[in-house]
This record gives sequence, structure tokens and C-alpha cells, in this order.
Amino acid sequence: MSSFIDPCAHCEELMQPYLDHVLTEAERVEAESHLDECDYCRRRYRFEESLRVYVRQATAEQMRPELRQKLSALRIPLN
Amino acid sequence: MSAATVVDMSEGEDAQRLAAEARDRVRFEEDALALADQVYRVARHLANSREDAEELVQETYVRAFRSWSSFQPGTNLRAWLLRILTNLNIDRGRRQQRAPQMQALEANDYYLYDKLSEDNDGVSDEDRVVERLSQDDIVSSLAAVPHDFRDVIVLVDIGDFSYADAAQILDIPVGTVMSRLHRGRRILKGALAETALEEAGT
Repeated sequence: MSSFIDPCAHCEELMQPYLDHVLTEAERVEAESHLDECDYCRRRYRFEESLRVYVRQATAEQMRPELRQKLSALRIPLN
Repeated sequence: MSAATVVDMSEGEDAQRLAAEARDRVRFEEDALALADQVYRVARHLANSREDAEELVQETYVRAFRSWSSFQPGTNLRAWLLRILTNLNIDRGRRQQRAPQMQALEANDYYLYDKLSEDNDGVSDEDRVVERLSQDDIVSSLAAVPHDFRDVIVLVDIGDFSYADAAQILDIPVGTVMSRLHRGRRILKGALAETALEEAGT
């Protein structure tokens, strides 16, 4: 499909764990120093971050009050 | 000490024990209900529809209230509830899938960004590019991600669970959580790119 070749393959590899805050300290420093000098990756990291925030917002659906009442009614009465 | 006194005493202890248990149970129920919003939010996207999600949450609470005493106080109640919920969801044979044909779109992590920005008259402001996606685009694209991948995305990205909690909830190794998350997010972005392009009429 896409013949696009990623010039920062290693950066891509680090991106998901970086955004999930699970990199080791050394990897984090490496990722951040790359971000400092690579505009290409920096823009895409920002995109990735804002996408996550957006997905979270878009999927935030309140439950209906009826469901809340039903759940409360499921409590086992005290004897 | 007469036999009658002994009986009285043990009845008194029994009553005390029962009262303590009732207190614990009431507290458990209140704690569980206080998490209902968060449980629902995750359930809504693990299930295929709002109706499914509502049923799933109700069944989860029926089961939780019945087996409350097997919850270890001090451990993560939200994860405990979600574990019940994901098991119920799997038991219900939710595996019938809308067959996703988007494997080809899993290009790379930047695919969606590139597609959205190349189609956007060179506007490459990251936040504005994201805004080209509607809430419906996101919800329907997420629903199209196969369950194994969707479960981890929903737990980690929407439910805010750690990799370790997600692994425990789904009963899979942490490494599997990470690889499914990585692949699942790619599939999601592929689906989003597809939707955005369709809307742009290209």
C-alpha cells in the first residue's frame, strides 16, 4: 500500500513505550535527545499524543441514570 | 459458668461477627458502585453496543455482589470488577466479529498522520489534523478493531490501566499486552485513516 519509508525507524519503535511512560531511563534520554533534533519525529509524537487524548475524549460516554439505579438495586439487602 | 452463659456468649460473638461482615459487605458494595462510571466507560467499548455494555455491567455487579468476600481488601477493586466483566464478555461468545479487512493498512505508526496531513492542503498542525476525525469516526473505528487487540487498547488507553493490570485482567502475559497494544493501535489508526479518507471523498 504505502511505499512510504520511515527515516526514523528506531524512533518509531520507542514512541509507543515513550508515550506509555514505560521506557528505561536510558531509553527515555535517547528518545528525548532524538526528539530534540528531529522535527519530523517531534511533530508525529505530538500528533500521537493528541490522538490519544482525542480518542479518550471521544469514547467517554456517560452511563444512563437508569443503569445506575439498576445497579444500586442489585445490592444484597441487610437482613 | 453455666451452659446457658456459654451459649449466650457465643451467640454474642456470632452477632458481632455477622455485624462486622455486614459492615464490610456494605462498604464493598458502596466502593464498587462508586466505580460504576469508570467500569461502564470501559465496558462500552469492550462490548459491541450500548445495550450489550449495559447488560454486561449489570451481570458484572450481580456477580461481584454475590462473590464480594473473595475480593482481597486493599487490592485494585476496579481491576477486579473488570476481570469479572471481561470474562463474562468472552463467555458470551462475543467473538463473532465484523471481519476487519485492514491488515494492509497497518503500515507504520505515522501512516494516519501522513494520510491526514497530505490530504489537508499542507496544514500539518498536529492538533488540527486530529480534529478532522469526528467522535463517530473514532467510536466506529475502535469497534472495528478485532477483540484481542481492542481489549488492550480499551483497558490501557481508555481505562488507564497499567500494562500489568491489563495483563492480569485478561490473563495474558505483559509482553502480549504490549505487542497487542502496539499492533492494535496501528490497526486503529489504519481504520481511522480509511474513515477520514472516505469522508474526504478520495
